[in-house]
Amino acid sequence: MPTEIIGGKTKNEKMKLNRIIVAAILGAQFASAAFAADDTATNSATDIEALKQQIQDLDQKVRILERERENDQDAAAATAKTVPRITLGENGFGFSSADTNFAVAIHGQIQADSRTFSHDDDIAGNSSILLRRVRPIISGTVYRDFDFLFVPEFANGTPGAASAATTPSIYDAYVNYRYSPAIQVQAGKFKGPIGLEYLQNDAYTFFNERSIATDLIPGRDLGFELHGDLFGGVLSYAAGIFNGVGDGQKNSSNIGFQDNREFDGRLFVQPFKTTSIAALQHLGVGVGGSWGDSSITNTLGLPNTTGGSQPGFYTDGQQQFFAYTNSVVAGRTHWRLSPQASYFYGPFGLLGEYVISDQNVQNGTHSADLQNTAWEISGGWVLTGEDTTYTGVTPRYPFDPRNGHWGALQIVARYSELDVDKAAFPLFANPAVSASAAQEWSVGLNWYLNRNIRVNASYAHTTFTGGGAGTGASALSAPGAVTTHPEEVFFTRVQLAF
Amino acid sequence: MRKLLKLFTSFGCALAVAAHAKEVRLLNVSYDPTRELYQEYNTAFAQYWKTKTGDDVVVSQSHGGSGKQAQGVINGLEADVVTLALAYDIDAISQQAKLLPADWQKRFPNNSTPYTSTIVFLVRKGNPKQIKDWDDVVKKGVTVVVANPKTSGGARWAYLAAYAYALETYGHDDAQARDFITRLYKNVPVLDSGARGSTVTFAQRGIGDVLLAWENEAHLALKEFGDDKFDIVTPPLSILAEPPVAVVDKNAKRHGTTEVAKAYLDYLYSDAGQEIAAKNFYRPRNETIAAKYAGNFTRLKLVTVDDEFGGWSKAQKTHFADGGVFDQIFQPQN
Repeated sequence: MPTEIIGGKTKNEKMKLNRIIVAAILGAQFASAAFAADDTATNSATDIEALKQQIQDLDQKVRILERERENDQDAAAATAKTVPRITLGENGFGFSSADTNFAVAIHGQIQADSRTFSHDDDIAGNSSILLRRVRPIISGTVYRDFDFLFVPEFANGTPGAASAATTPSIYDAYVNYRYSPAIQVQAGKFKGPIGLEYLQNDAYTFFNERSIATDLIPGRDLGFELHGDLFGGVLSYAAGIFNGVGDGQKNSSNIGFQDNREFDGRLFVQPFKTTSIAALQHLGVGVGGSWGDSSITNTLGLPNTTGGSQPGFYTDGQQQFFAYTNSVVAGRTHWRLSPQASYFYGPFGLLGEYVISDQNVQNGTHSADLQNTAWEISGGWVLTGEDTTYTGVTPRYPFDPRNGHWGALQIVARYSELDVDKAAFPLFANPAVSASAAQEWSVGLNWYLNRNIRVNASYAHTTFTGGGAGTGASALSAPGAVTTHPEEVFFTRVQLAF
Repeated sequence: MRKLLKLFTSFGCALAVAAHAKEVRLLNVSYDPTRELYQEYNTAFAQYWKTKTGDDVVVSQSHGGSGKQAQGVINGLEADVVTLALAYDIDAISQQAKLLPADWQKRFPNNSTPYTSTIVFLVRKGNPKQIKDWDDVVKKGVTVVVANPKTSGGARWAYLAAYAYALETYGHDDAQARDFITRLYKNVPVLDSGARGSTVTFAQRGIGDVLLAWENEAHLALKEFGDDKFDIVTPPLSILAEPPVAVVDKNAKRHGTTEVAKAYLDYLYSDAGQEIAAKNFYRPRNETIAAKYAGNFTRLKLVTVDDEFGGWSKAQKTHFADGGVFDQIFQPQN
């Protein structure tokens, strides 16, 4: 039978309350009658006993009502423990079983960008308004210890693919078994544990695009990974075996393309994380790396060489500035090493990373171990005083102009370089069109309206060493056309992430 | 040199044992008033098991109304063993969840009941309402505290004890017995879901003149709140309450704890286990231990569910199932 609610109380509670009040009034009337009688006559012992009994009865009734209320509350609390929970907030929409052993959450990410190039001799199609990322994200837990994440990409705004078809593809799809925070095993498709900047969530990077140092880091790949946090997060480790992909590429076919595998690993330590030294708590240093041995050569392990809109080494503006010649293939060993560090304290944040990518390449009878290197340093300062963190900025007061709140404002800056091994030229890359090095600096302004909405504007300037001297068709397309002049590009972004 | 060799050998053996030692975890899902019993018993068993096998055993306890606890196990509470208030609740686990065989009660001695108890009266100091027998409990003006027999095993025992008294008193006239039990529950102003809740209602919240309590729970109340506040009155006739124990086979097998779960319940029948039960005011099965602790237990006539009600299944169906006698006679007072 449904319970009727009146004025925030159930009908039964109301009735009980009324009963208490009536009983109290009756008691008072008895008492006043007794005292009035006292003025005129002496109370009999019987009257006093009757009053005592009356009070005791009332006391029992009140106690019983209180106990029933207590039991009702206990029953309600017990029932609440078995009722599934639904949450809706800045972290998305979620629902879970009462014991949280089963949970599903729905998140999303939309990035609407613009790129405006200047002084580029009118390279066709690079200035654009585009959807950089459109990702519905489903995460969850089953049987308490098994987490999963599924991230499809609908925008297909991948590097160098601004004008590509928007075919949906799977970016992340993995299952993670969490025995403890220190021991977790993950399987599926996800980011390999190497680059600091690459491992940062797309929604929280300082700039629209990651630096050119990340050109030497492998993208999402399929594999297995053992990972965990030790000593309360002071030490994080990850080690995995993956199909292996080339620098700056991701596995888009969701299958392996060679028999051999690549081993990735990373150690990251935040030595002061659990101390009381606030200024050093978020200082972290680490090293990531990979090693793979291709006993047979393959063409897919290298940045594609066809130029133009295809993947390769890219500028901030996602234009290819280096490409191997078409006949070059990857062979034998490929290893990477990436020492890295980050520091966050209050409104200030800094990321730095150095990457060496040593790749054996072959071109006909020629073979060489090319060692390409890159590094970057980027930082941000929140002018409105909020903390900068690896996982973004949370405005103290979300955007609400009617009440004089404007969110948080952050200025950001970056410098990065990428150097291609000199031995790559001319046997493996055309020095007339491909740059042997690129240097990039960027400045920008990030406006966090709230935890979910961010608006960015930034300017990036990239200069090149070498290239830019192509003739004919090669002078009209990337990388020849890109390396002819320094790249100057103005970015904007409106981002929704929840 | 030999001494040194022995020392090294011993050290090596100790290391080998230590390296082999493992930690085993058990979950004992029990009824409300056994908290203190199993706290003490678990410590004793852990020591015994450590000495016997070298393994550490950690026993977690879960307590609540016996019926609710059984339902919890049926719904997925991962009990390795159950130590509930009455056989019917374990039967329900066997029948509804198929977690243990139907003949589970044959696995341990005494129908898998290592100790017994009964229902007594806990009254306020000096027994102001002069409650000495069941007839006094049903008198007008006496307020009785007892848990809900739909959810509490102890309350079912209390209900049946009163009903058995009425049957014995009125020549097994069921109508009169029903009238008697109706009058009793008219005196009950609040039904808690478990026996421990009833003790709180009576002892801490100061409600009522008499608590129909497990014998051990009544003694615990004296110990907890002071014997200057309450008296225990043992009626001349009550019921032989037999709280059974069982290994929950499928859970234990899945957890790899079958051996230790069985040993855990076996140990209840050992002298040490029986002593602990007796010290906690459960009537031990072992006659020697029972004699040793005879002073803890008043002698009274104890009737059984089998004799008076034809067994638990019949009693449950007649009295406590939806639409049964209890549903017919009990009217909430508010």
